[in-house]
Amino acid sequence: MEKTMEQTLVTKKKRGFVDNLKKYSGAYLMILPAIVSAIIFSYLPMYGIIMAFKNFDVKLGIWGSPWAAHHGMEHFMAIFKNPEMFKAVKNTIWFGLVILFGGYPFPIILALMFNEIRSKWFKKVSQTIAYFPHFLSWIAVIGLVYTFLAKEGPFNQLMGALFENWEPVNPLMKSELFLEIMFVSHLWKSVGYSSVVFLAAITGIDPGLYEAASIDGCGKWKQVWHITLPSIKPTMVIVLIMSLGGLVNVNFEQVYGLQNAFTQLENEVIGTIVYRQGIMGGKYSPTTAFGLFQGVVSLILVVTANWISKKITEQSIW
Amino acid sequence: MKRSFGEKLFTAINTIIMVLICVISVYPYLNQLAISLNDGMDAISGGITIFPREFTFENYRTVFSNPNFLDAAKISVLRVILATLLGLLVTYAAAYGLTRRGLPYRKQLTLFLMLPSYIPVGTIPTYINMKNLGLINNFWVYILPGLFAFYNMVIIRSFLQELPPEMEESAKIDGANDFTIMFRIIFPMSLPVVACVALWISVGAWNDWTTTLTYITDRELHTLQYLMMRLVKEAELANSMSMQQTMSKGQQVKAQVTGDTVKAATLIVTTLPILMVYPFLQKYFIKGINLGAVKG
Repeated sequence: MEKTMEQTLVTKKKRGFVDNLKKYSGAYLMILPAIVSAIIFSYLPMYGIIMAFKNFDVKLGIWGSPWAAHHGMEHFMAIFKNPEMFKAVKNTIWFGLVILFGGYPFPIILALMFNEIRSKWFKKVSQTIAYFPHFLSWIAVIGLVYTFLAKEGPFNQLMGALFENWEPVNPLMKSELFLEIMFVSHLWKSVGYSSVVFLAAITGIDPGLYEAASIDGCGKWKQVWHITLPSIKPTMVIVLIMSLGGLVNVNFEQVYGLQNAFTQLENEVIGTIVYRQGIMGGKYSPTTAFGLFQGVVSLILVVTANWISKKITEQSIW
Repeated sequence: MKRSFGEKLFTAINTIIMVLICVISVYPYLNQLAISLNDGMDAISGGITIFPREFTFENYRTVFSNPNFLDAAKISVLRVILATLLGLLVTYAAAYGLTRRGLPYRKQLTLFLMLPSYIPVGTIPTYINMKNLGLINNFWVYILPGLFAFYNMVIIRSFLQELPPEMEESAKIDGANDFTIMFRIIFPMSLPVVACVALWISVGAWNDWTTTLTYITDRELHTLQYLMMRLVKEAELANSMSMQQTMSKGQQVKAQVTGDTVKAATLIVTTLPILMVYPFLQKYFIKGINLGAVKG
């Protein structure tokens, strides 16, 4: 008696599994293309990471190629020994730091300013205009930068009007100004759009808080400092965590686009070295290692930032 | 409530700075537009603001009579249409499938799709993979790798989860299968999020030029953005060369100048589609990032 009950339970469970597959076959069929696409374009290339630990030879294939020296760590050690690569690492980190932390306050300030605009019409128009550059491609933005900074362009015109004896220069030819141009063009392209998420957070603040504060005699500045900023702190933290991974992922398009014969050598970053030496130069193993190094550091940064933020502010992206 | 002098001053200063920001945001583009409508020889002396000095359509005529440009435009348009339609189909279907009530292995499947976004594969292994798949110098490299995007799937999924379940259930009783329900009932209800993701994909596809840079050498497969990149960078190269070498002046200068105005016209034409859909972009993109910010 007991046995048969057990058996029916088992068959019921089994039939449950088959039934489930049948019942949900439509749903699985819908997910299938996504799974296949993930396998082919995301999981398959993971195998290629092994190249970082080998001396990859196209003729021998990934598996057949010999392992690299120093227990396969040769290419990772080279990153710190090779002056060109090491400089690229330093540049990547420095550029990333400047753009991340230097650029961080601007969207917040802009959102605060949008919020203070009284006229609805002007608010809408200024938002429309400020978000626009985000939708241009990086290469279009760089095209505009080239024109703007040209010897006969608006930049030199403006400087000529402001300063007597201004000698027209093209800042794009000056290697030491590369980061400044990167920073400003980054700000120009992204500040408006990055402010959207902060503005949404500000709009969500209970207006009663401001009324209470203004009855208590708090001025504009105090209201911003004691109400607005604390209220949008969660958003500020999340945005910071999400951008921390980018600290070692300087925008390839921007750097590659801005580089020219005068500025390239001094301003290489990891991404541009990988492109030039790997894709163009065929040095697959060293550049795979270089890219992996960058990716792992970036992942560690995001995970750590998330962990710290969870501890301190109870905000996390997972 | 009466507003104090301080507050009025605050508003005034705020307005002035905002106007300034707006000017800075549009000036370079308007300047480029003016240059593109200006005579090439005349533009050499610079000083063009936002109005052309010697008006002409010649630069646009040059752009549109260039066969390279027309080929690249075809590739760009074809690519955007296919990437958007197919990408939307794959991503939407996955999102819908994953929101089916009581789906076994939902967690595992989601994890499987999510995991790649955290694993740093890198440029080179991706490149080698494309090579093994035969996608180097192949038009499909523009379409296939981007068919499924996890982030877009999350956005669609969070929208679908908010829909009332009754619609689906009553349809089921009427004997409709999953596909009929998805296309006939759920899809029309989720048009706002579909519009958002479609714009997302198409702007990304239109603006992309690194795919061409990395995987394409065949001239017939170049896109508009890539063409513009070459123009921008090569004009810069020509400029720096003319600085380094003192060449027979006249010819050099002429080549460079016509280059500048034609380059400007190319940039305007290439960014025009973005400008045209911008009103929708503003509406839906912003909805999208707010959705994304909530669901993270």
